[in-house]
Amino acid sequence: MYRENWLERLEKRYRWIGFTLLLDLIDGLSLTLSYLFSKTITMQYPDREKWIPYPRFRGHHFLRKFENGDTKCVACELCARICPCQCIKVVPYEDEKGNRRPLIYDVNTARCLFCGLCEDACPVEAIALGQHYEFSAYDSKKLLVGKDVLMKMPGKTEEGGKVVRARLVAGEKVFAEPQGKEGYHWWNRIRRR
Amino acid sequence: MLDLFMTIFFMIIKVIGITLILLLLPVPLTWLERKVAGHIQQRLGPMRVGWHGLLQPIADGIKLLTKEDNIPIYADKTLFKLAPIISLIPPFLVFVAVPFGEDVTLFGRKTGLYISDMNIGLLYIFAVAGLEVYGVILGGWASNSKYALLGGLRCCAQLISYEIPLGFSVMGVIMLTGSMSLLDIVEAQSQIWNVVYQPIGFFVFLVAGIAEAQRIPFDLAEAEGDLGSGYHTEYSGMRFAFFMLTEYIVMLTVSVLIVLLFFGGWNGPFLPPIVWFILKVGFFVYLFMWFRFTFPRYRYDQLMSIGWKVLLPLSLANILITGIFLA
Repeated sequence: MYRENWLERLEKRYRWIGFTLLLDLIDGLSLTLSYLFSKTITMQYPDREKWIPYPRFRGHHFLRKFENGDTKCVACELCARICPCQCIKVVPYEDEKGNRRPLIYDVNTARCLFCGLCEDACPVEAIALGQHYEFSAYDSKKLLVGKDVLMKMPGKTEEGGKVVRARLVAGEKVFAEPQGKEGYHWWNRIRRR
Repeated sequence: MLDLFMTIFFMIIKVIGITLILLLLPVPLTWLERKVAGHIQQRLGPMRVGWHGLLQPIADGIKLLTKEDNIPIYADKTLFKLAPIISLIPPFLVFVAVPFGEDVTLFGRKTGLYISDMNIGLLYIFAVAGLEVYGVILGGWASNSKYALLGGLRCCAQLISYEIPLGFSVMGVIMLTGSMSLLDIVEAQSQIWNVVYQPIGFFVFLVAGIAEAQRIPFDLAEAEGDLGSGYHTEYSGMRFAFFMLTEYIVMLTVSVLIVLLFFGGWNGPFLPPIVWFILKVGFFVYLFMWFRFTFPRYRYDQLMSIGWKVLLPLSLANILITGIFLA
């Protein structure tokens, strides 16, 4: 059987003193006061700050290129095959050297579930999911993205997982433009007792 | 003749000034409340409209003004329209008797920073402040909704229970000063504040004052969790804003009364009196916000037992002790 030690018994017996002096309320108030003067963890996206994702982040698709600007894609259609929601459409053609190249490479990002299976399936590491995540649109037709757009999309981040200073650009496209590379991780700002 | 004219002129200016201040003060107070709430929860609060979100209350005001003014089909329409106004007027009336400072010289004339120095000021304030309950209970009744009605009933029971300790807790101060005029009470505290002589009275007044102002931990009348939002569930647009305004002005009233009765009013070293007054009132307004984001809400039976079993005996004991020391 558990026996309380003398301190616990003392505490139990004289608990009413602290209760009368409202010590528990004062304890709560001091806790909230210490939180009042601690750093906030709010990320001020998109006005001042932006989250740069980790390299493993699966954002908007992009097509990798050779140095001469040609796409690495060989139009093998494995990505279209493995895609669980069938959002990739590839039409191949044969160029003058006799290579198999993509004539059409469409990704319907409205249907895509960003599983990254196309990236895994690709034998030449052409298609991949990058860092871009601000591509919402009012019209779902705008989410059907072609080969030219995919080749211009930003790739994966080299070092990510941080909040950097940013500026809101509200033009035809609305996004937060990162300013500088220095950043912090909001996780480190959480106050722990 | 000119003298009379000037007196009336000053009076009108003071009335307009206080009305404007009371109507505009909730604007920065809502901003402050949201900022305090945010930072206590490690958020930032409003940041987007204006510098650090300072214009946010104005944006909210525009939103409330342009919103649909909805009256439920089964509501009692006359009472429904009347209730917000009835609840808004008493807090304004209270400030007729509240002084903000001693006499100042304006345009070569001495005027007090108060509308009227009544010799029964305190009695008047409690009488008028008690009228606020009509607006709330009428609003709850006229909405013809069970949440609103329950909120109104709770509010009514709460206000009546806490009015008694509130009145009794002030009795000690009146006994010390021998006057009910707030000006005399403040002057009597020029050396030592009343809170030194009346710690129990101050405690009872603070707790009962929070209950009067319907703030957490005593905001049972508008408990979001169990009553929607209580007596103003059915209100929208500007009528809702009236209830909101009332709530903030009552909070301000309670802070001002605490400062005047227990914390020496505008008495203080070095700084000008009005600055001291604003600082002290500001501290108590902040205290109310601090309480709001620290404590959970009391249960209804707890509320009643605190009112009748703790605060009422405490305030009576306070009167007794004060009487013994004075005799």
